[in-house]
Amino acid sequence: MANYSRREFLRMGTVLAAGFGLGRAAAPALADGLQRIFSGQKRVLWLQGQSCSGCSVSLLNSEDPGPLELLTEFMSLVYHPTISATQGSQAIDTIQKAIQTGGYFLVVEGSIPTKMAAACELGGRPLTTILPDALRRADLVIAAGSCAAFGGIPAGEGNETGAAGVGEFMQSCGIEPRQRLVNCPGCPVHPQSIVGTLAYAASKGYPDVNSELFTPDMFYKNSVHDDCPRFHYWQKQEFAEHFGDEGCLFKLGCLGPLSHTNCPQRQWNGGVNWCIRAGAPCLGCTSPGFARQQAFSFYRKGEKHHAVAYNEQDRKGGAS
Amino acid sequence: MSSSVTVSPLTRIEGHLAVHTETEPLAEENAGHRVTIARCAGEMFRGFERILQGRDPMDAQQITQRICGVCPVSHGIASVRAQEMAYGIRPNHNGRLLQNLIFAANYLQSHILHFYHLAALDFVDVTAILKYTGADRALRAVKAWVESALSREDAFAAAPFLPRYEADYVKSDDRNVALLGHYVEALDMRRICHEMGAVFGARLPHSTALIPGGVTQVPTLERVLTYRARLKRVAEFVESVYIPDLLEVAQEFPSYFDIGHGCGNYLCYGVFELNDSGEKLIPPGVVIDGKWEALEPRNISEDVACSRYASGTPRHPSEGITEPEPERSGAYSWLKAPRYRGRVMEVGPLARVVANYMNPKETWIKREVDAVIGSLKLPVNKLFSVLGRHVARGLECRWIAAQASRWLDAIELDAPATCDFDLCERGEGYGLTEAPRGALGHWLTIEDYRIARYQCVVPTTWNCSPRDGQGQPGPVETALEGALLQNPEQPIEIGRIVRSFDPCLACAVH
Repeated sequence: MANYSRREFLRMGTVLAAGFGLGRAAAPALADGLQRIFSGQKRVLWLQGQSCSGCSVSLLNSEDPGPLELLTEFMSLVYHPTISATQGSQAIDTIQKAIQTGGYFLVVEGSIPTKMAAACELGGRPLTTILPDALRRADLVIAAGSCAAFGGIPAGEGNETGAAGVGEFMQSCGIEPRQRLVNCPGCPVHPQSIVGTLAYAASKGYPDVNSELFTPDMFYKNSVHDDCPRFHYWQKQEFAEHFGDEGCLFKLGCLGPLSHTNCPQRQWNGGVNWCIRAGAPCLGCTSPGFARQQAFSFYRKGEKHHAVAYNEQDRKGGAS
Repeated sequence: MSSSVTVSPLTRIEGHLAVHTETEPLAEENAGHRVTIARCAGEMFRGFERILQGRDPMDAQQITQRICGVCPVSHGIASVRAQEMAYGIRPNHNGRLLQNLIFAANYLQSHILHFYHLAALDFVDVTAILKYTGADRALRAVKAWVESALSREDAFAAAPFLPRYEADYVKSDDRNVALLGHYVEALDMRRICHEMGAVFGARLPHSTALIPGGVTQVPTLERVLTYRARLKRVAEFVESVYIPDLLEVAQEFPSYFDIGHGCGNYLCYGVFELNDSGEKLIPPGVVIDGKWEALEPRNISEDVACSRYASGTPRHPSEGITEPEPERSGAYSWLKAPRYRGRVMEVGPLARVVANYMNPKETWIKREVDAVIGSLKLPVNKLFSVLGRHVARGLECRWIAAQASRWLDAIELDAPATCDFDLCERGEGYGLTEAPRGALGHWLTIEDYRIARYQCVVPTTWNCSPRDGQGQPGPVETALEGALLQNPEQPIEIGRIVRSFDPCLACAVH
């Protein structure tokens, strides 16, 4: 533990606490959580289902703690398919050993093909045969990203693999997700949601979550619409008509009202930008319905041309 | 006696790849095994092409970016090109520049990530950190962490860097420690590249600002300066760290200029549009049997003889179908097998270099490459190798960083980067571009304002393709066949050869 001082943990804890909207009072607890993971008490096993690795790449964009801390110490990352030096049967042995040892946090990235086992294999075995043990023996399961949380794009209408989120898969295996599963949706997931959930769980245990969605309140309580910097345009009914215009992006397709996440506060990529600021309508990428229905398109440009399975109120959610 | 050697999962690439080989021991005892047959198997399928059917075409540049989290922008660009062709529009001046700048940022990110975080651990000895005596804060932290993990006899000591295959790593401790230091620095660099991409692309991975005809972000002076400050740091890293490291690894492992030759045919669609006439910074070209020819997209087809799909004759992607049949006999991979005029083709940075080096109309790339291989004192055919692929990738970073600076200069500040367009009731289009790891094409058919057909032929689909109906192995399979494995129990050579292609399996299968 010679590497990081208490003060540095507090600094990172403060940054995380600000990210959660928890206020400075929460910083010491989070610093404890970080310290506990740092000292190797908490192992993290990372498995990929039907994923694009975007959530792993997003995790590497983490700051405070940055990638070095994450990779070498913060996570005690026993296995990660994109980062681990190990490969082949040695990798499978490492995964099996971790599962047998138990007492780890399991992070799952990607959806689970419940109707086509061959659609995701690991070391020649269907993931669906490896995952149940890994889920049962984990202290905590984190579904990283919308595919793992709710099925995401692989579960979109017309899919043939029966892609499902981790929670649905747990239930089909008779594993109770309550007090065990934390869903961190996003396409990709924001690095703070993963790092923050790990740190919180290591220090204080299972976080407060939405009772239906299992999403931690600290990141997913308010909608993008609620905290949108363009909200004043919405109130004045000043809508952008073309991409690149000022104004509320709702008529272009913005799904901010349906997307519960704190993007307006933390933004993306070190705070250099985020969707609404760039004039890009929110795609609703943290919502359970993200990309699910064919007829529920991201943009509204084509709306006048075809019958749509929604009305304007469906896109507004609870917003009025 | 022949035996089989399998690496499954082959980690430190994107996605789920298994490599199966059959090997023969050399006559001399303990001299190693020779690979006689190699098979690459993609082990994950989602069905994007089917999921896209029936959707609003404008969903495509968002949905297809999610094919791959390492190169989402490439799919976004291919998709907007296909749509732009169908709608009959072109990005305006700013739209083209901003798309290029987002794309350039992701190229730099991807190449740096590949060399340092995916490939380097095949060459660098991480345990050398224990002998580190210097004062660098990050390296001292890594050393203390490894020491404490080892002293606790933690069963997972120094994961994710250990365990690993024991093999012939870089010998000098100083050099290993320097390379590890650069591994750490490169983590920051690739993150900064993503910040650059987000400056105009809203965020990365998965840029939401990318739309047909341009980019939603309006370029302001503040945006340009934010990008430029980061680009400067990355460009300096490429020149003063990445390229020297590449050359050091090349010097330490010269045999890898003779290993992993591949199929010897190269395909490049060209990338980074410079003007409305479609001229590209890296022009397209095809090299078959050592002869250059102009690209003709009609010559592309996909074969599924050994792929886990309902069988049929090879089809052009504009007529392609994707009908999964996981248990079909004889099928061993979820990848289709794309072919050009029925031939096996390598794609990627090396293919881009070769397709331009061999172009009878001499491009600037030939002069650049001649200068580099001149300084390495290598005959040009040594580039057709594991190290050649790494060198091509490094050179590309240099070229792209320089060009990105010029694109920033050319931006018309505070002017929109979008154009007006109408959707079309029916239409067809295709978008050909180059992802960091090679030639990428999307083919789109629109009927009744909806997607009737969408097919993606992706870089790693070419490179890691299985055998086709003619029995021709794919490029990576070809590169593996004939390779020598010093120790078949720890076949590090397989990983070195396969990773030189920078495979992305989520792309390849989608």
